[in-house]
Amino acid sequence: MSCSPFDLRDYFLRELTNPRQLQVEAHLETCPSCREELDRLRVTQTALFALREEEIPQRIGFVSDKIFEPSPWRRFWAAFWGSGARLGFASAAMLSAALLVSALTRPAPAPLAQTRSTVATAGLSSAEIESRIQAAVQKAALEIEARQEKKTAQLVRDIELRDQAKLHNVVALADAQFDYYRQRYAGANQ
Amino acid sequence: MIFRAVEDADLIPQAARGNVEAYNLLVSRWEKRVYNYLLRITANREDALDLTQDVFLKAYQNLRKLDDASRFAPWLYRIAHNEAYSMFRKRRPETDVDELPPESTGSGITVGGSSVFPIELSLAVAGALERLSAEQREAVVLKIYQGFKFEEMAEILACPVSTVKSRLYTALDLLKAELAPIRARGVS
Repeated sequence: MSCSPFDLRDYFLRELTNPRQLQVEAHLETCPSCREELDRLRVTQTALFALREEEIPQRIGFVSDKIFEPSPWRRFWAAFWGSGARLGFASAAMLSAALLVSALTRPAPAPLAQTRSTVATAGLSSAEIESRIQAAVQKAALEIEARQEKKTAQLVRDIELRDQAKLHNVVALADAQFDYYRQRYAGANQ
Repeated sequence: MIFRAVEDADLIPQAARGNVEAYNLLVSRWEKRVYNYLLRITANREDALDLTQDVFLKAYQNLRKLDDASRFAPWLYRIAHNEAYSMFRKRRPETDVDELPPESTGSGITVGGSSVFPIELSLAVAGALERLSAEQREAVVLKIYQGFKFEEMAEILACPVSTVKSRLYTALDLLKAELAPIRARGVS
């Protein structure tokens, strides 16, 4: 049983970190039984190396065969799809193309008001059209005017309310100041 | 002009783009190691050679899937491990994959002609390795002969590092019990 601070086999197989390796070496200086154990491991390894590597009986070589080789286009295609970055770029390009095609081929929404107007005006004289336009314009102008009046009235109300609030505050402040001075004056007289 | 050695990391992207010459250079760097790994776990030269060819073909077909070129070695050995165990499974489908031992060669793996070790020791080592379980033997091959780190071994064998260490240390204890006394006697 080894008393080494770390597994002697790990040390022997160079699987320890450098500081640990040094610790084991320091231990080996003082421990004959661990030195003996290490020697046995070395003897075992040396014996194992008695079996030498053999030369390969037949060299392995690959021949470039045009029949089996992919065409330059296929090589490019394979390399293209083999690259993550290029694949991402291709995906982005395809998405952009799909969006563009979708935007170009989608039918534009029909202008409904115009269509209705066209249908309604079919068969009318230009004077009638003119009078209808005038009526519509007048109606719209009246509506805008009414809206403006309503808005103005609201604004005036708001301003009045704000002024009243301000006035109220000023009065309250004045009252408070008046009370303060009155109390101070009364205190001074006593 | 700066000269520097061509590295695997230079060859892998080229090979992945279909450069056969770059791939052949890569194969020439690794074929001997992969062959010897397969030879040690199959204990059969023909199988090891066939599997080595399959491994490099499969690696070529899947090289584009390798994200990190620095992980090439464990990735390649993972393919080799899978190919070997796939062969074991085909030959003995009724056996549990985890318990599949390689075929026995009788005399074990032969020693290279240029060995400086006595033949008795080589035979003793071959015998000791044969007596290990398939998993223990593979752990020894990956660590001692192929020099992988524990994390890489875990990746190749698709198991936790703790399992790798357990297999390896049990194997080392068994080998030590058999081989260290023999070697010690030889030395003294």
